[in-house]
This record gives sequence, C-alpha cells and structure tokens, in this order.
Amino acid sequence: MEFKIEKSDDIVVVGLMIEALDASNAKEFKSDIASVLIKNKKVLFDMSNVKFVDSSGCGALLSCLRQLNSEKGNLKLMGVEKAVKTLFELVRMNRIIGIYDNRKEALDSFKVAAFEK
Amino acid sequence: MDGNRTTKKIRVLIADDDPVIQALVKRILQKAGYDVVIAENGLRAVELMTDRIDAVLLDLHMPEMDGLACLRIISRKYKGLPPIMLTASDDVSNAVEAMRYGAFDYITKPFNPKQVLALVKKSSQAYEQAKRLRKVEAELIRAREHEFFVASEIQRTMLMGQPPDDFEGLGVASLTIPSQRVDGDFYDFFKLNDHTLDLLVADVMGKGLMAAFLGAAMKSRFLRVMNELEVSSGRQAQPSPEQIITAVHAGMIKQMEDLETFVTLCYGRFDLEAAQFIFVDCGHVRTIYYNAQANKITLLQGVNMPLGFPEIDPFKQIIQPFSPGDLFVFYSDGLTEATNHEGEMYGERRLTDLIFKNAGFENENLLKTIRQRIENFTGSKTFDDDFTCVLVRIDQPLNRPLITATDKLEIKNDLDELASVRSFVRNFCETVPVNRFGAKPMDNLEIAITEVVTNIIRHAYKSQKGRKIVIEAESYAEKLVLMVYDWGCGFDPEKVPPPEFDGSKHGGFGVFIIRESVDEVIYSRNGDGRNCTGLTLLLRKEKENGV
Repeated sequence: MEFKIEKSDDIVVVGLMIEALDASNAKEFKSDIASVLIKNKKVLFDMSNVKFVDSSGCGALLSCLRQLNSEKGNLKLMGVEKAVKTLFELVRMNRIIGIYDNRKEALDSFKVAAFEK
Repeated sequence: MDGNRTTKKIRVLIADDDPVIQALVKRILQKAGYDVVIAENGLRAVELMTDRIDAVLLDLHMPEMDGLACLRIISRKYKGLPPIMLTASDDVSNAVEAMRYGAFDYITKPFNPKQVLALVKKSSQAYEQAKRLRKVEAELIRAREHEFFVASEIQRTMLMGQPPDDFEGLGVASLTIPSQRVDGDFYDFFKLNDHTLDLLVADVMGKGLMAAFLGAAMKSRFLRVMNELEVSSGRQAQPSPEQIITAVHAGMIKQMEDLETFVTLCYGRFDLEAAQFIFVDCGHVRTIYYNAQANKITLLQGVNMPLGFPEIDPFKQIIQPFSPGDLFVFYSDGLTEATNHEGEMYGERRLTDLIFKNAGFENENLLKTIRQRIENFTGSKTFDDDFTCVLVRIDQPLNRPLITATDKLEIKNDLDELASVRSFVRNFCETVPVNRFGAKPMDNLEIAITEVVTNIIRHAYKSQKGRKIVIEAESYAEKLVLMVYDWGCGFDPEKVPPPEFDGSKHGGFGVFIIRESVDEVIYSRNGDGRNCTGLTLLLRKEKENGV
C-alpha cells in the first residue's frame, strides 16, 4: 500500500494514497503502516484522498492509535472528508482521535501537547 | 353355517411321511365328507398349499422340511390359518412350541378319529372367521377412505372460498392442507362492493363428514342471512358483522345443540374507505395483526363464545384501524397445535415471531415459509389437524407502490468486491430524482451496504469461497430499498453485543452503523436457507437525527 511520507520536525505526516479504507484493505493497511509506527511517536494521517471508511477502517485507525499510545506517542488526523467525518462522529471516534481541518492546526496541536507535558 | 358354505366341500391338507397315517387320516376325513390333499413331506406341503385349503394337519417329524418350519412358512403366507400338529406322544414339548408359532392344537399319535374330526372342523371354522374379519376390516378401511375423500372434496370444493385476486387495495392469499380426518376448517370471502371485503374463517368442532356438512350448512346460512338482512334494510346499509353473526347464531343454534357441536369463527370486514377491519370473533384463535409502520404485532382477540354455545350476551364487534402495508394473518389451530416428536406444540408465540420476522415477504412466499417452518418443527409433511392460513395485506395506495427504478448486482463473497458494491449503489442513487435526495443519504447507503456485505462475507459465509451475494435495488416515490441476499448461516442481530465507544474493542460497530445509517433494517431467512437483509431509506423527509 502506498503512503506519502514527510517529516516536519519530530512529526511524521503520512498521506494515505487510497480511495477507501474498508474491510477489503484494512488488514493490509495495518501491516504496511506498522514500520512507520515503530519508528515514530507523533503521527499525522492525511486523509484527504480517502473518500470512504467503514467499521473495519475505523478499527484499523484505532489499532494505530492504541499502538502509538502504548509507546507514549499520539495519532492525529487531518483532511477528513465530510462523509467520513460523519461516520467517525457516529462511532464517537472523534472523541478519541484528534481530527483537524488543516495541516497547520494539526501540527500545532502536537506542539501544544508537548509543551503541556 | 350359511347355505353357500355347505355346498363347498372343506379341503384338508395332510402332511405326513408315514403312508399308514396318510391313509388313516384320509379315510377318517373323506368319510366325514371332506376333500383331502396328501403331502409326503413339509416341502411338498408348502407346494400344495393354496387359498382353497381350509385346514392343515402337519406331522412334526418329516423329511425335507419338518413340521415346525412348514408351520412358520404357511402361517406367514396364509394369515389366520391355524394348522393342527401331529406328534408322537414323546414329543409334546415340540408340539407346545408349535402352538406358540400359530398352531391351532396338537394331536398325539396314536389318535382318536373323533378328536381329529373335531379339531379339523374347529380350525377350519376359525380360519373362515379370520378371513371374514380381514375382509370386513378391509371394507371398513375402504369406507373410511371414501368418507375422507368425500369429506375432503366437500371441504375443498364447497367450504374453501377462492381468495379474490382482483380486489383493488388488498392482497389476499390462502393455504389449506386437509388432515387425514378433515376437521371442518373453512373460509370464504364475500365482496360487498369495490371497497368492502368480508372474510369468514371458521373451524367446526368434530371430524369427517359431520364437520364438513355442518361447515357447508353454516356457509349457506351466512349467505342467506346476508341476503335477508340486506333486503330488510332496503339496501340502505350493509348489515354489520355483529348483525350477521347474531342472525346466523339464531338460525343454527338448535341444530348445533342437537349435534352437540360448536364452531369457532372470526367474521371480519375490510372497509378500505374507512381504513378499518371490523370483526366479530367467536372463540377462534387470535388473529395476528402486523402494523407495518410501527413494525409491531398485535393479537386480535374477541369477546364472544363459539357459535353453538347458548349465548346470552349480544355478539360484539371490534374495530381495528389499519394502514397501507399492514398484514392480517388468520389461521386455524392446526398451525399452533402442530406437535413435534417431544409432544411440544408449535404455539402462538412461535407463529407470531415468524410473522414478525418475515412480514416483509410477499404473501405467497410468507405462506410457504410458514408451512416449511411448521413442517420442520413437526418433522412431518402431514398434519393431524386441518392446516388453514389466510393472509390479507393492505396494499399501498394506488393499489401497489410504483417502482421508479430497479437494478441488480451479483458478486462473489470476496471483500475485493466492496468497491464495486459501492459504485453500484452510487450509480443507482443517481437514477433517483435529485431533489428528493441529498448527498447525505447516499453516503449512508454506501456505508450501510459495505457493512452488510462485509458481515455476510465474514460471518455468513465464514471461510467458504466462491459463494454469491445478490443485491437488488428498488426505488419508490418515497423510499429506496436495498435487498441483500445470501445463502450462508443465518444471522441474529440481537446476539451482537453493543459496541464500546471508548476504543477498547471494535466489535459490534458494523451492526450499529447499519442501524443508524438507514431508516429500517430487516433481517429474514426463508425456508430455502436464503437470508435477506433489507435496508430502507425514506426519501420524503430529511432525517432529523442519526447520521
């Protein structure tokens, strides 16, 4: 699975280059993203290409979050499509994962969190 | 003895290898006027046996085949013929053994001629009796079968009315399976005018011809009463169901009391103008009423005694309003009292649950499902009681909802198909008029269908490969329906635990998402093992809550 990976200070921004994150590719996504999660603590997923997420996709994102949290890291999302966001709200994922409208806000949120620590 | 039998000589078969005994017995019997057939061993005796032989004497000890073996063969083939055994005095225990296998008696050698004659006479009479009894029994069975045939023909042709197939606004279907006894179930439909249909379902207490005839008499009484009431009211108004029942009761109570029987029935009127079902129930099983909009079952129970009981209180009718899509299920106790091998009855509860889960099926399909489920329960294709079921469904206005568009997709049970499932739904949604349909509901259908198909692939088909899933899409003026069919394991959404929203686990989200994304989800499974998940999205109004 293809990712577009950039670094901004200690934050890694991962562009998900897929149209849908659903039961058909959630497993593949989890195994392919694993190496990124091992090497980094602050991870921001750029979701702007993803038009569709289902419950399996939510499950995959949650498992990324859990993995990072266990290493004192964090996962945030940006560029979430309206339809996808509606689903996240339905399953209350927005309460567990920070979702930001743009890249600046998202990057800043990591800094604030670091500062607070 | 009747004259006919004295003219026919009694024929006796003697089987003994001793020529002296053969000659002796032959002489005794011929002197007494009997015909005699001689066999020199057991095998020969079996060969010489015919229907014309009236009595048999068998020596216990013979070459080729001994008397005991010969006895067993003969009494198996010629039921009711009891041979007499001949035996040496030192071999009585074998003779007693022979009695256990159907011998009439035994004679020890040397024997007394009078004893031989007496036993032959008695055994031939016993055989004659047995033959007559079997003939009478066979005639009785034939008579019973004929009575059943006549009763079931009366029931089929005269008692069961044809459901109207052209009554605008109502979909009516019926199923009857007569039992081997004919219980006198009957039903009929009376079309009073374009918007009023009366329905009578009844069950006569009793079996066979009596029940069938009483049913026929009662039906003709109904027709007469309706005619008389209509004439007397000057065609001003239809006689009400309670007036009709009161008049039928008055006209038949005497006969029913004389016959010591009674009839349970439900007489109801579907008035489409008033959107009401008005019924009088007289001790019949409770009618199942399914309210489509509320997705709820109500059991309609009357307050009256069965017809034939000395009724003092006046008959009371009850009014049940209805709406398009509603379903009424009338049936006889043959359904609910169908019993399985453990002696357990199918029961009202199971029937009600079945109707509730499958109310979305079209009438004929639902009848088939009911029948199959009850057959599966009892493990038999025949029923102890008449099996009668009538379905009446209130059609949508304009007779039937107009389908504005329809499409179908068949896929393999492979998660890689999910993208094409979504594009199928998206393309279908684009054929639906845009002004009724915002972007939101379309997203909802896409997510719901993805979850449904994923669940089928993962849970219904588990690890099986190469199975199919069929999706049918239909759009109506006010709603959009997706039906997803699979042939895997059944699914009970009640058994799925609710999801945890704290991220601790992600099970249960699929079912939750499906329920929240559309207006109605119906899971059903038919008798052929086909599961159907129906997703309905209302187009009329924007959903206030949910997604």
